[in-house]
Amino acid sequence: MSVRYALLGLLAQQPRHGYELRAAFEALVGGRDTWEVKPGQVYATLERLEEAGLIAEVGVEKEGGPEKRIYALTPAGREALQEWFHTGVVGDHHRDEFFVKLMVGLLVEGTDLHRLIQVQRNTLYQELHRFTRQRMEADSQTELAYVLFLDKVVMHLEADLRWLDMVEARLEEIQRQPTPQPEPKPRGRPRAKREA
Amino acid sequence: MPIIQTENLTKIYGTGETAVVALDHINMAVEKGEFLAVMGPSGCGKSTLLHLVGGLDRPTEGRVLLDGRDLTALEDDNLAALRRRRIGFVFQFYNLIPVLTALENAALPLLLDGVRPAEAHRHAAEWLQRLGMGDRLHHRPDQLSGGQQQRVAIARALVAEPDLILADEPTGNLDSRAGDEIAALLRRISSEWGRTILLVTHDPRIAAHADRILFMKDGRIIDETRLAGTGEEQAQALRERMETL
Ligand SMILES: Nc1ncnc2c1ncn2[C@@H]1O[C@H](COP(=O)(O)OP(=O)(O)O)[C@@H](O)[C@H]1O
Ligand SMILES: [Mg+2]
Repeated sequence: MSVRYALLGLLAQQPRHGYELRAAFEALVGGRDTWEVKPGQVYATLERLEEAGLIAEVGVEKEGGPEKRIYALTPAGREALQEWFHTGVVGDHHRDEFFVKLMVGLLVEGTDLHRLIQVQRNTLYQELHRFTRQRMEADSQTELAYVLFLDKVVMHLEADLRWLDMVEARLEEIQRQPTPQPEPKPRGRPRAKREA
Repeated sequence: MPIIQTENLTKIYGTGETAVVALDHINMAVEKGEFLAVMGPSGCGKSTLLHLVGGLDRPTEGRVLLDGRDLTALEDDNLAALRRRRIGFVFQFYNLIPVLTALENAALPLLLDGVRPAEAHRHAAEWLQRLGMGDRLHHRPDQLSGGQQQRVAIARALVAEPDLILADEPTGNLDSRAGDEIAALLRRISSEWGRTILLVTHDPRIAAHADRILFMKDGRIIDETRLAGTGEEQAQALRERMETL
């Protein structure tokens, strides 16, 4: 989703070919280490955008190598981009793998839950260390947007670590509670709804 | 050989029913050049550990080895002399002398050790400059922000060129931005100037700068996590990077 709209945005800036788009996208999000896109994904996305009428081929560049098709944004593409700008982004907070692991750990007899939490804490600290170093190496005079992105990651990791402490502090209490069960379903055919 | 090693290090405050076991048979080592953070809830014994490692207090049981030498076997005078030369301390509340300038505060350990004032001031100014305080040499503590006062305290800790820095909640009294700057500075003191750092903190952001974290609870070390390679691994990585240049 993000890649699709990022490509539209980059084409709104100026017409480009696929190779150039890929490099521009990776630069935009903080380098290939942050978010790598495969050339195949770029070309497939361009194809779909063209089919949808959001971009159009406006020329071909041939400098020695193979031909490179240059694309530009269509009016419909410009509209789609504006619509994206004016739509809020909802994060996926529910499908958290560690939360599932914790719940399954509660189910499975003999799981060392303190160890499970410690291992997760170690992993989060290693992440925090990595991003803290990147944050220190980034230059806020020339790459402030990236620095702020790293700040966001660091803040999220801090929150995750705080939450982990909270879970650990209340672990005995959680263990005393029943594990969540599916809601009982009535047997047989569902009864017809009563009239209101 | 580790620069610091503890063997069954134990500290009990008080006696009988009111006795508090602040440290309970701690066995740990700090490698030369390592930046090690100690974390844990309030009252778990972090400050006590730092005080014993720095020879500011004596254990109830067990030993502290500095470069393999037993600190607990030294007479008070010898211990104090060793401490002055080998160990620098940084605390939460800077502990600067209000009537002295940044330069005079930072030079103090050398002056107390009998170094001539001109020489002591020159050396203190050098460290203050490295720590970004070159334009505040003649300010008194009350003319400096908290972060700047802590930089002066760090310069004072480094002025006698100790190889071990012990820091107890050095960012505990600072806002998060100034705290980050002090943590980044400690990181540089380890990476660029090769000092060994033992840092006590309860702030994950600050601890994340370290190479390794020890987690304490009730006077014991309950877990540790390595955040970066060992000093030798880092040196190796650096050599490899140099070769590719
Ligand atoms: N001088 C002292 N006399 C008596 N008890 C002390 C003294 N110093 C520390 N303690 C106790 O020892 C325990 C560890 O304290 P401390 O090392 O200061 O913990 P931390 O630095 O992790 O907060 C605490 O229970 C504290 O009350
Ligand atoms: Mg303390």
